[in-house]
Amino acid sequence: MKHITVSADVAGTVWKIVVAVGDRVGADQELLILESMKMEIPAAAPQGGVVRKILVAQGEAIAEGQGLLVIECP
Amino acid sequence: MTWKPELEELARREALAAQMGGDDKVRRQHDAGRLTVRERIHRLVDAGSFHEVGALSGVGEYDAQGALKQVTPANCVFGRAALDGRPVVVVGDDFTVRGGSADASIGNKPLMAEDMAAELRLPIVRIIEGSGGGGSVKTIETTGASNLPGGVGGTRLFWRTTANLAEVPVVGLGLGSVAGLGAARLASTHFSVMTKASAMFVAGPPVVARLGQALDKQELGGADIQTRSGAVDLAVDTEDEAFAAARRFLSYLPPSVHGLPPVRPNDDDPQRADEMLMSAVPRDRRKVYKMRPIIEAVVDRGSFFEMGRNFGRSIIAGLARLQGHPVLLLASDPFHYGGAWGAETCQKVVRFVDLAETFHLPVVYLMDCPGFMIGLEAERSATIRHGVRAMAALNQSTVPWCTVIVRNAFGVAGAAHQPAGRFSLRYAWLSASWGSLPLEGGIEAAYRAEIEAAPDPQARLSEIEERLNALRSPFRSAERFWVEEIIDPRRTRALLCDFARLAEPLRTPGHARFAMRP
Repeated sequence: MKHITVSADVAGTVWKIVVAVGDRVGADQELLILESMKMEIPAAAPQGGVVRKILVAQGEAIAEGQGLLVIECP
Repeated sequence: MTWKPELEELARREALAAQMGGDDKVRRQHDAGRLTVRERIHRLVDAGSFHEVGALSGVGEYDAQGALKQVTPANCVFGRAALDGRPVVVVGDDFTVRGGSADASIGNKPLMAEDMAAELRLPIVRIIEGSGGGGSVKTIETTGASNLPGGVGGTRLFWRTTANLAEVPVVGLGLGSVAGLGAARLASTHFSVMTKASAMFVAGPPVVARLGQALDKQELGGADIQTRSGAVDLAVDTEDEAFAAARRFLSYLPPSVHGLPPVRPNDDDPQRADEMLMSAVPRDRRKVYKMRPIIEAVVDRGSFFEMGRNFGRSIIAGLARLQGHPVLLLASDPFHYGGAWGAETCQKVVRFVDLAETFHLPVVYLMDCPGFMIGLEAERSATIRHGVRAMAALNQSTVPWCTVIVRNAFGVAGAAHQPAGRFSLRYAWLSASWGSLPLEGGIEAAYRAEIEAAPDPQARLSEIEERLNALRSPFRSAERFWVEEIIDPRRTRALLCDFARLAEPLRTPGHARFAMRP
């Protein structure tokens, strides 16, 4: 088991958190949507696993590279 | 009486060169998961094609009678070879001899390799490991004086390291720890590759520790750091993948600026119209979409070769073929700030447009750019100056150019979608939308007085937005001939192949009007 932190590709604000702690997600699945440059930019799971932690809150301002969620992968 | 004894000595000396730094050092190289320089050259080039130059050079040891005991070979191996049947120059550092450092090098070897590439008009592949430069600080004790970099009469290698970018394709492969002049020779290329186990830095961890930064090689200059910083274009898992990447990159380019990019037979139908293109761009303007599948749908199947993916990510850059004709392809990535150009993206645009100009590659730009990046960070990184540099690069280019406006074209960066001041081809998709600045946010600025004076400002804002949106249709712009063609996106491939055919006779060999810089 390893833990992967999914981080933000862009600076922006958290528009919508799509998943909840404990959710099982597949590779490429949308986890969270950031708003940046007036666009909705999704952050997706790099690989399948279980969402273990959500590090940000809706509406929060996010820096590029900031950690968003932690996924536990097999 | 023949020259048999000398012939035997030649063979013996060649055999000594093949031993490199000796069995122990070769084993250590293998134990660390790395190939020796001779194995690397062997795997990079076509079988049996390597013709070495200077194999006998090194430091000889003789007994009291003057008979040769041993030769420690110079730690630079170079010569001519063929890659996929096309001649190239290959030059590699031998890490088994004094860690690839200049302590054991003969400076004229890498210099002759660079000279040979320029004079024979052949691409050069630099296989880099070690510092290959001023050597260690120990050198001062062996020479008894301090080395002024370049010094007197020693600047030619430094000159060639950058000057060859305006002459021949230059590829750098960083395979191991690369520092100092080695790092400079890797960064000063048209295309640089490193393995994920490698690291590149100006100075390594022990030197950096003196700054109070306790970092290992990977933390300081690993693939993540160097591909995101834009100093290295591609990171791969194995050395064989690095060799394959070098071969693939060169397959799109002419042997030098004096030739033209080679046109290959192609069996992908130029009329192929991918249905997916009709729904590729979402109608909801806030939603993003993936550009890479669009690229795959319009270029020759499997021909897109992306470079510098981790850097300046609002622009996707690479080489591709259209009906067999090599082109330089730029495309926006809306996933990265909606495709807006920040300082790094602008640097990337300059570099790849200059590459196209240097090697006579027609340019295709699949555009979706809402403008330059805005905000404090953008101002702090001089986005606008890097932005006008990118515009200047486009405007100075003379290669044939074709732009497809996929979605947005806004602001000054919106204008930077074709070379200004000359004719180029341009098509707008049905999803295209443009303006001096985006309506969202722009309305508040332009109609502030009217909105503030309204009894219900929010309602007035929506009302104005609706009114202006109705005028946004690209067909209204086409009526005025502000855009010349709006197309069914499924026709894109056919039109781009048509562009490549039109561009073919316009490609003009020779030096670009400016010398490309790294």
